[in-house]
Amino acid sequence: MDEGEEVPKDFIKLKSEKLSVDEVSELVISPCCGALSLFVGTTRNNFEGKKVIRLEYEAYTSMAEMEIKKICRDVRQKWPSVKHIAMYHRLGVVPITEASVIIAVSSPHRAESLEAVTHCINTLKAFVPIWKKEIYEDEYSWKENKECFWTNPEK
Amino acid sequence: RPQVTVLYFARSAELVGLRSESVCVPQRISSLQLWEEIVKIHPRLAVIRDQVVFAVRQEYVLLGDQLLVLQPGDEVAIIPPISGG
Repeated sequence: MDEGEEVPKDFIKLKSEKLSVDEVSELVISPCCGALSLFVGTTRNNFEGKKVIRLEYEAYTSMAEMEIKKICRDVRQKWPSVKHIAMYHRLGVVPITEASVIIAVSSPHRAESLEAVTHCINTLKAFVPIWKKEIYEDEYSWKENKECFWTNPEK
Repeated sequence: RPQVTVLYFARSAELVGLRSESVCVPQRISSLQLWEEIVKIHPRLAVIRDQVVFAVRQEYVLLGDQLLVLQPGDEVAIIPPISGG
């Protein structure tokens, strides 16, 4: 009987409120894990010389949650020692410097959680139906991730 | 012919001026033909044809020969290039 052996959990949330690194970290902390790796995506104030006033995110929410669940399954297959995974994405208006996405993964040793976090953000950018609109002073632009799985990066 | 729910997101929602609508489509149809049915209703969508994919019952489908078998109430989403994260 293992003391502190918990059932691995996936924490997936899309919400419009401000994201908290503390809150997301707390979700994945585990007594059997010595490593917690984090990725935080924050909004930049510039793009190609243009001043970005704010970002707005929208999602196909039900499908985005399904796609994020698939990423978690994939992570557990590739890195079986991973304990808990949290993937939180903010929707609606995200002011400059605030977090749009927080990913946290716990594992007994650091290699797995570090690799898993990288995989999570890279795969999210390629497959999860979430869209970002960059608002500039005089115009706006719907962004397109170069990772998007069906677009030609050479276009 | 089943009524499906077409969902519009991001740029496609701006072009169409809608987030969703009910559309009557053939039950068996290729994904490209389905696109063409929708563009007949909303010609302004034509400009994004080369960038979009569908999500049918929340599974991605490229525009092409793939045969779809649609049921009443199925969700068909227009998916412009994504930019999460």
